[in-house]
Amino acid sequence: MARQEKKKDVVIVGLGWTGSIIGMELAQEGLEIVALERGPEQNTVPTFKYPQMIDELKYGVRFGLMQKPRNSTLTIRRTQAETALPYRSLGSFLPGDGVGGAGTHWNGQNWRPQLPEYKLRSYVEERWGAGIIPENMTLMDYPFSYDEMEPFFDRFERVAGISGKAGNINGDIIEGGNPFEAPRSRDYPMPPMPHTWDGEKFLNTTKAMGYHPFPSPGGIASTSYVNEYGMQMGPCNHCGFCERYGCYQYSKSSPQTSILDALRRMPNFSYRTGAEALRVEMAADGKTATGVTYFDEAAQEEVFQPADLVILAAYSLHNAHLMLVSGIGQPYDAVTGEGVTGKNYAYQITGGYSLHFKDESFNPFVGSGANGITLDDFSISQIDFEREGFIGGAYWRAGQTNGQPIRSMSLPAGTPSWGAGWKEAVGEWYGHAMGISAHGSHMAYKTNYLDLDPTYKDRHGRPLMRMTFNWQPNELRMNAFMERKIGEVVEQMAPDLSNPSFKKDGAQYDVRPYQTTHNVGGTIMGENATEGPLNRYSQAWTQHNVFVMGAGNFVQNTQYNPTGLVGGLAYWTAHAIRTQYLSNPRPLV
Amino acid sequence: MKTFLRIVAGLVVLGVVALLAFIFVPVQTTKPTEDLADDWKPAEGQGEYVMYASDCAACHTGKDGDFAGGVAIDSPMGAIWASNITPDKETGIGNWTLDQFRAALYDGIDDEGAHLYPAMPYENFRKLSEQDVRALYDYFMNDVAPVHNEVQKTELSFPFNLRFGIRAWNWLALTGDAGFDPTQAADIQNRGQYLVEGPGHCAACHSPRTAFMTQDGTTAGDKNFLAGGEIDGWLAPTLRGEDSAPQKWSVEDTATYLATGRNNHSTANGEMGLVVEHSLQHLTDQDNLAIAAFLKGIDGADVTVPEDFASLADAPLALEEDAPDAVPTETEKMLSEATDLSEGARLYLDNCSACHFVTGNGAPQIFPSLAGNTLVTADQTEPLISIILHGADVPSTQKRPMHLVMQGYADRLSDQEIAELASFVRSGWGNDAAPVTAADVKAVRDAD
Amino acid sequence: MTDLPGLPSRRSFLKATAAGAALSGLAVSAKAQSTPPPVPLHEYEPEYFQPEEWQFILAAVSRLIPSEGEGPGAIDARVPVFIDRQMLDTYGTASDWYMEGPHDPAADPLLGWQSPLTPAEIYRQAIPVFNAWCKDTYDAEFADLGDDDQDAALTSLQKGEVGLRAELRDFFTILLSNTKEGYFADPMYGGNHGMQAWLYIGFPGARANYKEWVERYNVEYPLGPVSIKGERA
Repeated sequence: MARQEKKKDVVIVGLGWTGSIIGMELAQEGLEIVALERGPEQNTVPTFKYPQMIDELKYGVRFGLMQKPRNSTLTIRRTQAETALPYRSLGSFLPGDGVGGAGTHWNGQNWRPQLPEYKLRSYVEERWGAGIIPENMTLMDYPFSYDEMEPFFDRFERVAGISGKAGNINGDIIEGGNPFEAPRSRDYPMPPMPHTWDGEKFLNTTKAMGYHPFPSPGGIASTSYVNEYGMQMGPCNHCGFCERYGCYQYSKSSPQTSILDALRRMPNFSYRTGAEALRVEMAADGKTATGVTYFDEAAQEEVFQPADLVILAAYSLHNAHLMLVSGIGQPYDAVTGEGVTGKNYAYQITGGYSLHFKDESFNPFVGSGANGITLDDFSISQIDFEREGFIGGAYWRAGQTNGQPIRSMSLPAGTPSWGAGWKEAVGEWYGHAMGISAHGSHMAYKTNYLDLDPTYKDRHGRPLMRMTFNWQPNELRMNAFMERKIGEVVEQMAPDLSNPSFKKDGAQYDVRPYQTTHNVGGTIMGENATEGPLNRYSQAWTQHNVFVMGAGNFVQNTQYNPTGLVGGLAYWTAHAIRTQYLSNPRPLV
Repeated sequence: MKTFLRIVAGLVVLGVVALLAFIFVPVQTTKPTEDLADDWKPAEGQGEYVMYASDCAACHTGKDGDFAGGVAIDSPMGAIWASNITPDKETGIGNWTLDQFRAALYDGIDDEGAHLYPAMPYENFRKLSEQDVRALYDYFMNDVAPVHNEVQKTELSFPFNLRFGIRAWNWLALTGDAGFDPTQAADIQNRGQYLVEGPGHCAACHSPRTAFMTQDGTTAGDKNFLAGGEIDGWLAPTLRGEDSAPQKWSVEDTATYLATGRNNHSTANGEMGLVVEHSLQHLTDQDNLAIAAFLKGIDGADVTVPEDFASLADAPLALEEDAPDAVPTETEKMLSEATDLSEGARLYLDNCSACHFVTGNGAPQIFPSLAGNTLVTADQTEPLISIILHGADVPSTQKRPMHLVMQGYADRLSDQEIAELASFVRSGWGNDAAPVTAADVKAVRDAD
Repeated sequence: MTDLPGLPSRRSFLKATAAGAALSGLAVSAKAQSTPPPVPLHEYEPEYFQPEEWQFILAAVSRLIPSEGEGPGAIDARVPVFIDRQMLDTYGTASDWYMEGPHDPAADPLLGWQSPLTPAEIYRQAIPVFNAWCKDTYDAEFADLGDDDQDAALTSLQKGEVGLRAELRDFFTILLSNTKEGYFADPMYGGNHGMQAWLYIGFPGARANYKEWVERYNVEYPLGPVSIKGERA
């Protein structure tokens, strides 16, 4: 029998970006709130403090800040014909752990999706007709417009503290910014970060080719910064330990720099660490949730936390898992196409070139997670999908994020993987290489989805979630296109040596190498209850007092890193709860 | 607080024999400075506000509960225990009359007519207005929850156990009448003067001490008022003179520092950090501006007072450095080149420049400047060494909630290395202070 | 260095000794109150590996990152110490990983680690198999082979040609990864001794602040590394 805690107005599962945002917004309403965080407490000091954080082995290679698969993982297969096997050790993606969640160890790259991405299905049908949509692709419109979301993107950018240069303010194109971005109501709150030599070379070359390079925007402070909560950032020193690391210097946007100390001062907000949500409990009629049962790590027992409002703000995959094990939304069935929870899992497709210049010094250890120069000339808004034979687009970027030697040693193609040749190459080429990458959109497909695994269980006896996912021809064709196009830039830059690294036709999903932690979909929003388990306000169709945050809500993946949309959606959802739901709890659609 | 140790030492100078003369003379207590009607009531929240402004919690709140006393102030003569000032009738001040309460604030005399140790800053509290005294009394009697906590009796060794000896000291310390005398050019500066001289008891740390360890300057007219003192081994820097922070900083900068523990130049650590945490962050913006304005004009400078400070208004703040394009100092150039480095300079690049940067300027509101920083260049090197060894932190405040922490380097740097490093920062960017030795560092390391 | 007939297994130790001697003159400024220098590699007593395994590790890493040529070899960097220590840590024991059955170690490698064994167990079980293969193929255990044969044997191991069963198939992958990790990780983990590998490639280690270098284009950074514990070189 689970221990029962005193009832709260709100229980939040997960205290990362979205849990912190919704916690602050609802705490400002005076509600009694408790957040449940499965991982440990984390603060800039001592958790991320210098010099202990500057440890490539512990954090970069052994994933010190990530969730331990022993405690939480899923199974993966490429096709329905395969038997899914556990993701036993981390590789392809890295869910975060602890207070701050993935918001502590991201790179800080922050974007708003482009205009066509909100209503992508309509965009495609209007321009080229539904005929160009592959049969297996479940292309969707988001159930909100960019204009509706703009104030919330703006809010998140100001809370998080984003450096960047606007390219389009209310339709006016700004020289030096991204001319292809969706029009913003005002500039970024901080000026753009300075960029390193690799970015400068890329900028000069692509500008000469007639493209439109601009400084990459990101949650990396270019100045001291204070946000609306009085929370602060200090200017980044380009330490080269961003992704997979917590920032030791208050320079990377995170719940720690942007929200948490302000939230901790709210007397009506509290949180518990070592508290892993196991399931959302339902009222007898199943139409509302009554609270969350969690596992108290310290007491080693299950605890029921009753609440009027349940917010799922865990990582996208964990939200999906909780919904599946709790019966929120009908589970998606890939055979019949019925059901919604677990539907439209999508990822991101990336590729890149490495360029080696033997007489140039890049000092690759000088970097930040969002350092560099980007261009959007081959973005989703600029591609003729019919002509190029794929739906999607990518941004290109050159900007070194780290020069950590175990995992970021760029060696020319053909270099032996060990022996005298390897040693000679690391001496010769470290510091003399740069990269250009393509970061591409990823559509959703009938055959890429999440459900519960029939065999494997977690430590609490719950079935693991099962991911069925494989690369699809549409994305691989896009990747091949980007390889060709970036190849033209590489040729102009004339390195001594270069080699591409793009997925080839027929590529199968490989869970071993790190690719990206942009796992989206599975808990998608929809215009109606047959499209996705959530409505346009991230509210569960089936239980109106359950709201779900995060990238799981994406109907398919955009070409950008997800955090900007995740943050915008969090404020959008918080606004809906504050202005529409609290006064009259009900289905908002 | 621990200045009291030196106060006690000063008592020796007076001599035990002289003290005996005072034993049988009846104790006098000061009358109210204003006649208020018996049914006068403070405004809602006034008492709590005076409590914050007077920083009562600093000494009287410990693990035993809010204002329940029991906080030990260690001294070589024994611990001095802060008293329970909750309205508990047995162990607190629940039975005190208003007159007794006032006597404690003004004269340092308790309900039984005995002298308080002058850790209680009655030299300053005697400037409290009668309205504030009444408000404070009302607050402690009615708004504070009684806590039954028998505070350990302070038992100092002879001759410091003779509390009546303090009477003699009081004759030296309590010069002038009780009450506050505004002398400034504008109302806001007068308000600041009141807060500084009275409840804020700033002189307790920031004024030097006389040979008898009384505050050398308790009002704006006194020559040495706020001319710099010491607290618990830390420099309490001078607050006047052209090199003082309130003169170098704008009124807005000073008010920001008071309210948030941080501004574009510096951060409040140690004892001042506690003052910000327990007291100043709770004051109104107008009062922190008033204090800043008073300090700015203390020596007659013209004062312009801004509307507000540390604003969280609509536009968030991207704070550029004051003069990012300033001509780099030699130190900055040397650190930037990073080719021909002294050991101290190398250690600076390896350990400090991440946040304080090669400019030595840090960054506004978050990383304090080392260039021109009085803590860095002070004659007393213990605070600087202590911060390098053990780090420092700035408390969470209402306007700037982030608890800012600098980590310590005790595990990473040897005594010799810290000496090299400290000597480097004391001589870089135009700083011109004497070097630090490994023995200095060892002494601080061993003391902790 | 030529191996003496009959005393082949001393070879790696001799290398280690030479490296240790070379290092004693290295200009590493450790802090005054800091730890004494570590025991020479040939006196190091492994915490996990048994003698035969240790011989293999010493020999294998000295081919994976040889000492010849510019830059430190794995032996100079004390990589074997690193690997030994990792075996008893969370990595070697797979204590962070999901290790519940059923296991399908023969699954498509793209599905990741599916062996029921931990990395430490794989070292323990694979080394004898590989040594037996070396004996069959070259008539000597791996540590006793000459450089060329060792290289050839490692190449066969890498290509999956030495008859390791599925549970052990990741052996070469982890051996090579762990060797490079030990070469480049912070010295506090036992390898990268004296930060030699960082010095060699020009990585400044745990300094991690370069604000004034961001826009100094195409200028080589001049300053040597610092470690987490504060050693400077």
